[in-house]
Amino acid sequence: MDFKERILTAMEHQEPDRVPVMGLVMDPATSNQVLGKQPADIGGLLNDPSMRGQVKDIINLSWNDIMYSNFADALEASIKLGFDANWTVYTSMEVVEDPQCKTGLAWHDAFGRLWEMTTDDKGNMLLNYICGLLTTEDKWEAWVENKRPSFDMMIQNVAGYHRKLVDNYGDRIYPIGYAAPGIFENSWQPIGFVNFSRFVYQKPNFVERVIAFHTDLYLRYLDAVMQSGVEVVMGGDDLGQKTGPMMRPELIEKLLGESYRRVSETVHKKGRKLVWHSCGNIYSLLEKFVEWGFDGIITMEPTAGMELGRVREQVGHKLVLVGNLDVSYLLVRGSREEVEAAVKKAIRDAARGGGYILSASHSHSSVDPKRLEWMVDAAHRYGKYPISI
Amino acid sequence: MNSDEQLGTLKESLLGLDMESAVEAARSLADGGGQAAVQDAVSAVSEALGVVGKRFQDGEWFLTELVYAGEIAKEVMGLLTPLLEAGAAEAAGTVVVGTVAGDLHDLGKNIFVSYARGAGFKVVDLGVDVPVDRFVDAARESSALALGMSCLLTSTEGEIGKVIAELERQGLRESVKVIVGGAALTEQFARHVGADAFAPDAITGLDTVKKWSAS
Ligand code: B12
Repeated sequence: MDFKERILTAMEHQEPDRVPVMGLVMDPATSNQVLGKQPADIGGLLNDPSMRGQVKDIINLSWNDIMYSNFADALEASIKLGFDANWTVYTSMEVVEDPQCKTGLAWHDAFGRLWEMTTDDKGNMLLNYICGLLTTEDKWEAWVENKRPSFDMMIQNVAGYHRKLVDNYGDRIYPIGYAAPGIFENSWQPIGFVNFSRFVYQKPNFVERVIAFHTDLYLRYLDAVMQSGVEVVMGGDDLGQKTGPMMRPELIEKLLGESYRRVSETVHKKGRKLVWHSCGNIYSLLEKFVEWGFDGIITMEPTAGMELGRVREQVGHKLVLVGNLDVSYLLVRGSREEVEAAVKKAIRDAARGGGYILSASHSHSSVDPKRLEWMVDAAHRYGKYPISI
Repeated sequence: MNSDEQLGTLKESLLGLDMESAVEAARSLADGGGQAAVQDAVSAVSEALGVVGKRFQDGEWFLTELVYAGEIAKEVMGLLTPLLEAGAAEAAGTVVVGTVAGDLHDLGKNIFVSYARGAGFKVVDLGVDVPVDRFVDAARESSALALGMSCLLTSTEGEIGKVIAELERQGLRESVKVIVGGAALTEQFARHVGADAFAPDAITGLDTVKKWSAS
């Protein structure tokens, strides 16, 4: 079987030749290390006041190329590491002057988040969401009105971006396009969680309007991702935190249930499968995921108490499970024996009958490529079907 | 309505997530009575927040409810605190709080901040991405009872040990209790780096700090 057949067989809850392994490589820190590349010193250039303006303009003009080369490297690194699949993500950004930010520049995404750039000790670039720009109803309304052309442009870019990655890498790895961030995150993060919580109680109609807007936009976004032709697509929203869901499950159903049903319908109408990402402790939402029509889930965060065996027990083969090796210790500084033991346990807990793809539980710039190699190696050794461990 | 009834309304409104009615009850309590009435209202808020916290710990309430109840308490305290006699406010002690350097997650930290304020602590909120020196300087300058650090990333958990070492180096460790919380951390880790307590959630953390304040 090749990588694609392996993934698609697992997605059908059938047993492939061996357990497929998916990478969640996206941080330049990881790709550069695997490919032996030096990071481009964008941070250094932006910190130099004489260069800043020019570099900012270049970034804005060539953002699509920057995104593309970032994920081209991620795919190249994933191929080298032996993964069957890796995700691909597009983020739309504009760099603007902002004296309040450390470098004097802020990164605004299309949805109204403010991000800042930092670099790690090796000079790899990291972008972090800092806060929302749309803290009031008026600001939100004005933003979505002004940004209509940017949204259209973003949708176009998303489609071209994923298609190009598939054209150039699809014969060596399975690139799974990820429509991110999701409807919930695009609704609360530009507003801020405290404001969002206030609005849920004080301005429920506004919250519904925000979610309806982001649902329509997300469906277009998903459609653009699916233009790559890949049979599996990822969606996601962080619906959980360390101890449970971010909101009361009934409230999640009320605010987002219909949106998520439409997401699944959109994917299924095109004959594709949907794998959903959510961090946090989400046991109490698993039945909802099935009901909303998701085909699989990815992440199952161990630091939030998620265990593959328990998830499989709770939902059986109604969901394909993708995950969930720990990125807080195991894949950062765990020993080879520990990584191997974790792979064996994951396979034992979730792989029988297919419907399982092994992966890390999250992307993380501290994840060590050596540990990823051990993970793939152990999967090849212990993941042959029929499972005998 | 007599003041007992008003106190009852204040508590119920907070627990019913009705900001308008909570603020109104607090306002009439403040208008109608003297220092004692204001003190009673502050205690009522604190008790109600205790109930909210318990509901959250027991999994009956969720984040948006916890956050919004905190926001109601903030509005009400904004009305009451200026009316308290000097010294009566924030009598429980000072807590310095921040998210460690390199980490920008702030939802959990902010919840702890608002509940600690609601419980009568003076909170020095240093924000996110806080370097070692700022934690230590703030603890010294405010003669803090406790220092709270939030950390959700494995890559930044080393910061906690550095802050504790610096507190020790500056001879402050004996006088400042250290409490830590956040997704990356565990009880075991907290013990390992020499923190005094790990908080699995903000409310349990607050219970611990209250105990320190009382002892
Ligand atoms: C929301 C979220 C984000 C948001 C943060 C928004 C914000 N303004 O805070 C965004 C999208 C920006 C984000 C970014 C990232 N995130 Co994040 N994020 C989360 C998520 C889903 C929820 C965190 C949260 O807000 N929970 C809600 C709050 C209320 O809970 P809490 O923080 O745990 O706090 C509670 C208790 O822990 C405690 N507490 C917390 N702090 C303190 C402090 C004191 C003193 C006390 C007493 C108590 C206390 O009280 C709180 C209430 O009960 C978690 C998953 C998880 N398991 O938590 C991942 C998670 C923390 N993120 C993770 C990662 C990897 C990242 C990124 C590196 C992703 C990336 N590749 O870019 C970046 C890092 C950015 C940075 N430099 O900080 C990983 C961390 C893994 C690890 N072990 O290192 C997690 C665990 C997800 C996962 N699947 O593994 N994230």
